[in-house]
Amino acid sequence: MRFDAVIIGGGYAGCTVAGILSDAGLKVCVVSEGLSLAVSGSKTPYAAQAALQKHGVTVLRGDRAMGAKVQDGRVLGVETRNLGSGTILEADFFILATGKFFSRGLLSDKEHIWEPVFGADVEYSSDRTTWYDEDFSAPQPFMDFGVKTDASARVLVDGKALENLYAAGDIVAKGCKEANVTKLIEDYARRDK
Amino acid sequence: MLEGINNLEQCLKCNLCTLVCPMMEVNPDYPGPKKAGPDGERYRLKDPAFFDYALKYCLNCKRCEVACPSDVHIGDMIQTARILYGSQAKRKGLRGLRDWTLASTDLVGSLASPLAPIVNGTLKLKPVKAIMDSVIAVDKHRTFPKYSAQKFVSWFRRQDQSSFSKSVTYFHGCYVNYNYPAQGKAFVKVMNAAGYGVHLLEKEKCCGVALMSNGFADKARKQGAVNLASMRKAVAAGEPVLTTSSTCTFTMRDEYPDVLGLPNSDVRESLMLSTKWIYEKVSSGELKLKFRKDFKKNVIYHTACHMQKMGWQVYSIALLSMIPGLELTVLDQNCCGIAGTFGFKKENYPFSQQIGSKLFDDIKKSATPDSVVSTDCETCKWQIEMSTGMKVLNPIEIIAEALDC
Repeated sequence: MRFDAVIIGGGYAGCTVAGILSDAGLKVCVVSEGLSLAVSGSKTPYAAQAALQKHGVTVLRGDRAMGAKVQDGRVLGVETRNLGSGTILEADFFILATGKFFSRGLLSDKEHIWEPVFGADVEYSSDRTTWYDEDFSAPQPFMDFGVKTDASARVLVDGKALENLYAAGDIVAKGCKEANVTKLIEDYARRDK
Repeated sequence: MLEGINNLEQCLKCNLCTLVCPMMEVNPDYPGPKKAGPDGERYRLKDPAFFDYALKYCLNCKRCEVACPSDVHIGDMIQTARILYGSQAKRKGLRGLRDWTLASTDLVGSLASPLAPIVNGTLKLKPVKAIMDSVIAVDKHRTFPKYSAQKFVSWFRRQDQSSFSKSVTYFHGCYVNYNYPAQGKAFVKVMNAAGYGVHLLEKEKCCGVALMSNGFADKARKQGAVNLASMRKAVAAGEPVLTTSSTCTFTMRDEYPDVLGLPNSDVRESLMLSTKWIYEKVSSGELKLKFRKDFKKNVIYHTACHMQKMGWQVYSIALLSMIPGLELTVLDQNCCGIAGTFGFKKENYPFSQQIGSKLFDDIKKSATPDSVVSTDCETCKWQIEMSTGMKVLNPIEIIAEALDC
């Protein structure tokens, strides 16, 4: 299934990016877990869904990206749980907007934190005792963890940026937030026009 | 309880499932998916006496599972609890007879088909409906799906499929066989036009969904084993097993291993709705569909709950969108309320119609005088036809009609 852009994650970041890109006339697909888009409220998700649908965005609800085909530093396609290996989502570029821990953008065990779809580089401390502050209401260091990107918000895997994979929203590590994804995407959309 | 299904500890009590449960909205007696599923399971593991008979209200639509951010098998837990602990709840007497009749789709279909004109005529009569309503509690408002005088398999046996070099296997299901062969004929037409012959399974039984929901899990398991054995032969011969019913497909792919304990991983990937298979072949360029140029139709697509669980509506929608001259409206995903045999029962009928009302309103709002509704589920079809008066077609029928051949 071929699109101009595939966005993984249907939260605020994913929906915003989908809105900008589809507005610019791109053929967009959003892979979103859950029965509705992952924005808060009991009615907002359905309003967002209707708005995206009106813009011709394909929203794969209740689905999950399971893995990606990467070749020569480029993402070729993404495989999802529901569509299986028979239908790969292909696109010119991909946006990783799967959020942090609760939304499974990042997974963890007692020693490691990893990003499950692309195996992106994750910024976190190897000393687990520094992951959290014992004062429950203090800012928790683990909330600063996230995937590493270059200055253009492209996701790093094994220290090298993938050419056509961008990260947006909560999943980005605190140290990599200087890149303005929205602006980049707006520029891209305009260039494409 | 099956290994891996009972992941109640993953539940964070976020209540997203409660929010999307269609039964919860209309019936205060139903505790809702969170309480009936992971919460109740804690108690049931301690003592089965904690089993709550209100679990019978679960439609098994699986919307809760799609909504769950933590992959808790809420619906499977409820289904399994009903099977393990709910056997005493199996109704006795006339309502028990009713449940058994509604669940025995193969047997009743075989008996009714030869007498189709008489059965269809009789089931339409008001006095007959009134008697069924008061004696065996089948709601008098329900329209029964008509039985077909000729079974699909009888028609199929006379179709020559030997001239094709490639073939697929078709699981037709009870509805196609006993009630509505037109859907199966449409499937054969599309496959043949695409250059594929059609085989049937060596032995096909009802997928068992009605048996499971009416308390006959053992029988469903036996039938499932027969279906899987035949599917293994088809898959070993290199053929995919294709279907035209979303619920049969979902049941055989997911409920067999998760609720009935029938392992199917060796055939699961080969078992799919025909629209998924056709779409994938069309996009890889292996198959070409040639459509008529003069085709015109307004189609309103309804995503059945089990279709949403599989996430495959995207295929039916994509195929319908390929047909020139077809105007497509895709509705919000809502439950139609019938849930198979559930909505036929007198005690459930009002819930069924209340749940479906949102969908019926949406359909009426989108409808033009010449539009038809399309859905991949046959019981949604009965419910929508009865409740809105609109004609409902399976996507495969629309594709067959639009083909230029």
